[in-house]
Amino acid sequence: MEIFIAQIINGISLGSIYVLLVTGFNLLLLVAMIIHFSFPIVVVLSMYVSWIVLGLTGNNIFLGVIAGIVSAILINIITAPMFQHIMKKRGDVDINSTMVLSMGIGMIITDFLSHSVNSGFPIAFPDNLTGRNLGAFFQIGMISISRGDMISLSMGIVFVLGLFWILYKTRAGRAFRAIAEDPAGAKLVGIPILKTGLQSYAMTGVLGGVSAVSIAILLGSASPGLGDQLGHKVLAVSIIAGLGNLKGGLIIGILLGILEALVQGYWSGTWSNSIAFVVMLLAILIKPKGIFGIKL
Amino acid sequence: MSLPLYYFLAITAVYILMTWALYLPYRVAHLHFIVVANMAISGYFGGYAAINWNWPFLLILAVGLILGAVVAFIVSIAIGDAPTFAVVIVGFTFIYITKTVIENWEALGSTMGMFGIPMVNHVLLVAYLFVLVTGFFIYRFDNSRLGRAASAIFVNRELATSFGVNTKHLGMFLQTWAGAIGGATGVLYAFIMNSLFPDFFTFHIIGITMTMLFLGGYTTMWGPLLAAPVLWGLPLLLPQEVASWKMIIYGVLLIVILLVRPEGAITRQVAARVRSIVLRR
Repeated sequence: MEIFIAQIINGISLGSIYVLLVTGFNLLLLVAMIIHFSFPIVVVLSMYVSWIVLGLTGNNIFLGVIAGIVSAILINIITAPMFQHIMKKRGDVDINSTMVLSMGIGMIITDFLSHSVNSGFPIAFPDNLTGRNLGAFFQIGMISISRGDMISLSMGIVFVLGLFWILYKTRAGRAFRAIAEDPAGAKLVGIPILKTGLQSYAMTGVLGGVSAVSIAILLGSASPGLGDQLGHKVLAVSIIAGLGNLKGGLIIGILLGILEALVQGYWSGTWSNSIAFVVMLLAILIKPKGIFGIKL
Repeated sequence: MSLPLYYFLAITAVYILMTWALYLPYRVAHLHFIVVANMAISGYFGGYAAINWNWPFLLILAVGLILGAVVAFIVSIAIGDAPTFAVVIVGFTFIYITKTVIENWEALGSTMGMFGIPMVNHVLLVAYLFVLVTGFFIYRFDNSRLGRAASAIFVNRELATSFGVNTKHLGMFLQTWAGAIGGATGVLYAFIMNSLFPDFFTFHIIGITMTMLFLGGYTTMWGPLLAAPVLWGLPLLLPQEVASWKMIIYGVLLIVILLVRPEGAITRQVAARVRSIVLRR
């Protein structure tokens, strides 16, 4: 029972990161109308930028975190014109091409990280960022939650709640959702499509940066291949929930995190990852249009 | 024939076949990466059958082709007319699962790879005969009613359905055909290289074949035929320091072609112009 509770907490922590990534992915899909498959690869690049800045500044956490967030925003804004260029007119969007373009961006980033940073070896984040040197946050029997896990979980919950608050309770959020529901109608009532689209790139950049810091704290390390794995899971969560379904992504993201944590808790070894993949595969094969329905 | 030339020609054949395996389902707008998993499954099966059961090469090739088709057919029942992104993610998931199984199966060499696949005479000849036969059938398909139906689905799925095109059956047919090509290519690759490594069947090969498809042109079968030898051969001619960055070069080429010439180098218009010039002569 203790293992079960500990893994549920770990799963929620992992799931909150998936939720941040899936929400950013869905936001770009709904507002900018692109399938940014490599969004998690951009997040991993931000982790590397953060790691480099930490190294250069003698592990200055504040600067490391800021560098991670700013780099994610910049990469998203810089790549935005490329996506805009290959999009046809609004409402008749070539989504397949945006996905292939995103994969091309992913290939470049992944290979660049494999060649240039730390000679392609995985990077490890310092203890003062991950909180490993501070010991357990609390321990009851076998249940041990590190401070790093707690910080990552708290960040995930705060930012997920904040994001959903923005989306559902603010004027900007209403503009995002209006464009997602009916682009022509949104334009008619005076919502600036281009400006709101760019805001969505910036906002997902912030989400990406926060996710990068959160993943760095939770995992304590990163490798060039991490982005591909996360990209695959994020797209899978989005499809299982229903592409563009924000609330569905929230539920499925948390559930996938819990599933993965439980499998790792009870089934050690390299097989554990494939269990989650088999469940994902079955879910997609049974309901290719998602459990909660596509919102496009 | 020198060894470098032999490997250039042999791997070019492998890439032409794999890019055609991607090209066929993309005729109905499906990026069907499961062909990489088909390649791995049939390749490892072929290697195992040759080493442990002493099966002859041609029998293994036939069984590998059928194995690829059967796996692809079973999956296509679920995703024959699924949206593109669902097809993409099923492909990726299948690749991950296949790779995990191979890496944990000692009989297949685990993470170390499978060695000792016997050398076979005339494997290069068989590979190019297979390219010819596959190319012939793709050409016939492209110029048939089914090929035109596939083009209609690519442009507008709903409209194609309203004209009576069975999108699911055509999607299943193309996915199964692509799976068969992927399976046979896996066997050919195993006998060309005489060894297999699970790390080969990952994003690496997806990135290369996807670039070949989009750079060469996804609207005709001639694009992959041109792009495969050029893109595979180019890094071999470059200095080692530059060639080691080939995935970045491929990524940049992929992005540039999507931005500048979205349909790739050889479009239907280009193919028609070349055909008319050739016929005039």
